[in-house]
Amino acid sequence: MEKFKKIISQYPFLGFIIAYLILLCVPTIFFTDLYQSHLSSLIFVNIIVAAGLNIVKGYCGQVTVGHVGLYAVGSYTAGCMFMYLGSDLWMTLPAAIIVTGLFGIAFGIPSFRLEGPYLALATLGGGEAIRLFIENGEFFGSTYGISSISQPVIFGVPFDTPDKYYYISMPVMLIAVYFSYSILKSSIGRAFMSVREDPISAAASGIDIKKYKILAFILSAMFAGAAGAVYAHLPPGYIHPNNYTVIEMVTFLAMVVFGGLGHIWGGIIGAIIITIVYDLTRPLYEYQLFIFGLTIVLTILFMPKGIGGFIDKIFIDKRFKKKKVEEGK
Amino acid sequence: MLLKTKNLMKAFGGLKAIDKVDFELPAGEIRGIIGPNGSGKSTFFNLVSGVYDPDPGSYIEFDGHDITDEPPHKIGALGLSRTFQLLRLYQDMSVINNVMSGYHTRVKYKFFDAVIGRKKIWDQEKEIKDEMMELLSFVGLADYAELNASELSGGQRRLLVLARAIAMKPKLLMLDEPAAGLSPVNVDNLMKIIMQLKDKYGLTLIIIEHILKVVMDTCNTVTVLDHGQKIAEGTPSQVKDDNAVIEAYLGKKMNDEEMRKALAV
Amino acid sequence: MKKLKIIFSTLVFTAGLALSSIAQANDIKIGVSFRMLSDVGYKHGELITDTVAMWNKEGGINGRKIDLILYNDECKSEKGVANATKLAYQDKVHVIIGSSCSSVTLPMVPVITKAKVPQIIPHSTSSKITMQGSEYIFRVPVSSRFYKLVQGKFTAEQQGKKIAYIYVPDQASMVFAKEMIQFMKDEYGVEPTYAVQAGEKETDFRSYLMKAKATNPDVIVLSGLVDETVRMLVQSYEVGIPKSVHRVANSVASKVEVPTNAGKAAVGVVYSAAFAASDTRPIAKKFVKKIKSTYGVTPGHDFSQMQDLLDMLKPALTKASAKFSGDLAADRLAVRDAIAGITNFTGLASGPISFCANGSPECRDGNKTPVMIKYSRGGKNWKTAVAGTVTFNPSDGL
Ligand SMILES: Nc1ncnc2c1ncn2[C@@H]1O[C@H](COP(=O)(O)OP(=O)(O)O)[C@@H](O)[C@H]1O
Ligand SMILES: [Mg+2]
Repeated sequence: MEKFKKIISQYPFLGFIIAYLILLCVPTIFFTDLYQSHLSSLIFVNIIVAAGLNIVKGYCGQVTVGHVGLYAVGSYTAGCMFMYLGSDLWMTLPAAIIVTGLFGIAFGIPSFRLEGPYLALATLGGGEAIRLFIENGEFFGSTYGISSISQPVIFGVPFDTPDKYYYISMPVMLIAVYFSYSILKSSIGRAFMSVREDPISAAASGIDIKKYKILAFILSAMFAGAAGAVYAHLPPGYIHPNNYTVIEMVTFLAMVVFGGLGHIWGGIIGAIIITIVYDLTRPLYEYQLFIFGLTIVLTILFMPKGIGGFIDKIFIDKRFKKKKVEEGK
Repeated sequence: MLLKTKNLMKAFGGLKAIDKVDFELPAGEIRGIIGPNGSGKSTFFNLVSGVYDPDPGSYIEFDGHDITDEPPHKIGALGLSRTFQLLRLYQDMSVINNVMSGYHTRVKYKFFDAVIGRKKIWDQEKEIKDEMMELLSFVGLADYAELNASELSGGQRRLLVLARAIAMKPKLLMLDEPAAGLSPVNVDNLMKIIMQLKDKYGLTLIIIEHILKVVMDTCNTVTVLDHGQKIAEGTPSQVKDDNAVIEAYLGKKMNDEEMRKALAV
Repeated sequence: MKKLKIIFSTLVFTAGLALSSIAQANDIKIGVSFRMLSDVGYKHGELITDTVAMWNKEGGINGRKIDLILYNDECKSEKGVANATKLAYQDKVHVIIGSSCSSVTLPMVPVITKAKVPQIIPHSTSSKITMQGSEYIFRVPVSSRFYKLVQGKFTAEQQGKKIAYIYVPDQASMVFAKEMIQFMKDEYGVEPTYAVQAGEKETDFRSYLMKAKATNPDVIVLSGLVDETVRMLVQSYEVGIPKSVHRVANSVASKVEVPTNAGKAAVGVVYSAAFAASDTRPIAKKFVKKIKSTYGVTPGHDFSQMQDLLDMLKPALTKASAKFSGDLAADRLAVRDAIAGITNFTGLASGPISFCANGSPECRDGNKTPVMIKYSRGGKNWKTAVAGTVTFNPSDGL
């Protein structure tokens, strides 16, 4: 086991290959109906958004309440490319990532001067502006939405049902998570954290604050863009401005907070749990908001670092105790 | 000269926090900066390290580069490292990550390599971590590497900011009251570690310290600031006997006995 | 050991949950998805729940119990699609009722079509929904393709053709005015006497109204959101546009805020709907009374459509479930065909509702007779009266 751990830490890519192989088999072994595939794809989309949000909010400490707008940019880049150019996912995905990354710059620039609630307001305005722009733009399908966005076809097989689309969304999610892992585990991730913790001493260590702030915004925007595109093509391939409101934003934030702000797996754990809990409480719709509000409040009160931080603490405390006991002897 | 300032000035409103200070520091020296509270010592550090912009007419040169108007991270990248009087630890990061983020300017791999997570990243990361663990064990914090910095005691925090500042392998290390609030035993311990690190990494040092004994014992030269002005400079024993210094500290002339007490030599 | 215990008990717990949600194979399952948490949305949910509970109390349908699964879609297509997928594949329902918002129903159609589950729409009006050609979709309300024409037809035929238009930049308000202008041109060859788009968030429309007044119109179209509509109505009297000029508003006129806030200015305003609470037929009177006493609101057409939907679904389910084989796919087809067989259902709607076998809009837009309603009194105790009905051919507006 120790040896295995060591190999993985040197070749993290291997870990993702293993995860890929496992996830490849999951539907055949565990899934009993198509809805589970559909839900998995939704989880994967949420994971991509949350992983990106964790970069800018969790790691770099920049408040953003407009991220859902970037997710919308990703979706609508894909949607419009499909509508006007007939592009498929293989074209729209990279395009959505690039376009949304550019929007990320616009969202990041206010962070040079604004902080906390002011930055929140600025980004909130940005996100809402995007949604309203879409809603009022005939080019974007306005309130009719864009429908019948195509699903990819591989070797003549259309991936147009939830069970098949799983095999599209899953690898995209894994690649995104892999990128987020390697970014955050490298010096870039540490620089983000230093900027979050104390910009002045980070600068003294030679870290360019502005560069890393804007980088965090761009990277997280690219994640949102990728998620948006994957969602746009998700069968039945329909996007509508209603899916990109402040409520969705709060849900994404809840995922990151619940999973653990600034924890490397935080966004991912949060996205999985929140999406599943939401699904299980679907019939309890009357109490759903209450349940969610309560979960968030309790998490912040009792697990300020979310599930990820909580688990870490258990492990670290354990290791530390062991060491102390050994020392005592 | 490793560090040189000419006509360095900074005013906050009407208050001249640093007033026309000329300062020269040759490589390899240990320089002490003393002065009463509010005399401008920390401001001097903040100006040199780029945290504050100096007033027009000032000039700062480090290692042959004009850094008067450079932003802090560029100055850091040139090899000027510093600690802060209020520590500015990364509270919510593990001890090892605190130190490793100090390594930032020495990281060799490219941004894009990190994004796609190439193997050489993980190799280098391992090297960095090993080196930083070594540094941590040097200052005696290796056992706490995985803990959050916020869980450390006051003395350990001072060791940690020291290690973080050293991590970039600076040419010049500026320490702002590194021993403030420590018990005498811990002060001795810390100074010992600082001296060992200086030898190990070949550092040039500037130390702001209000415990005069520390300064007198360790520094080659001492610069004395008062009301933002440099009022004296010289070897510890020269400075000790300088009337202006004594006046600045106590506001009046003293006899030998009183002075010895005040300076606790 | 402790860990094992925890894992084991979680497994048992989830298995229990799963078991309890598995209903009897004999049951008829109805899935519902719409915007459940708005004030009336919640009451629509209650109406369905109460009605189905009554069916069950009466012994079910063909002795089969009816299981009702209600999900909220918050008027969001993402939720609606997930609900439809869950209802179709996991809950294995026989028929889906939903949704409120057209933007949610629209993407549900391909999902239920692929899953081969019939879906019957209580509220969504967008003509695009039935134009996808799905054989599994049925619409109870009047399609927007009829609503689009009805005001024009009614206005031109009964009020006059000299028309001035004032509309706000809101999407729906703009579309309403522009489509009416277009229709008047195409159908009767008349240009507007005056047409203007007000500025964003404007509250004073008097200068536009003055200019409109100067053109001496028979009719003035005031198309805005609730608040703007109220202001325009009130201000139209302030600038002295006489009572004899007909005021036309878009579908927001059906909201209670319009007569309540506009007061006298609302009198004479006409809007189209599929049902009027002022309907004097006994069946309508009884329904209004029932909804008022049970749910405390005066029902609009969204309530009546839900009631009609349930009333026509019951005989269809009775017919279909008599032939239920236990094979879900076949049973769903049976339900679909039974619904498609509904002809000339006369309920609360202003006209008969009929479906037919193929998936064309002619077949699946059940109600072709919108009713024109006008306010006969404004203020808190507002009153409406039926101004007339307009019946369309199945292919009109396509
Ligand atoms: N950011 C600032 N804004 C206003 N005044 C400041 C600021 N920083 C320092 N000062 C003032 O400059 C003077 C010198 O302060 P400082 O350099 O911190 O003194 P020392 O470190 O020698 O105790 C003090 O009077 C202090 O109040
Ligand atoms: Mg100071």
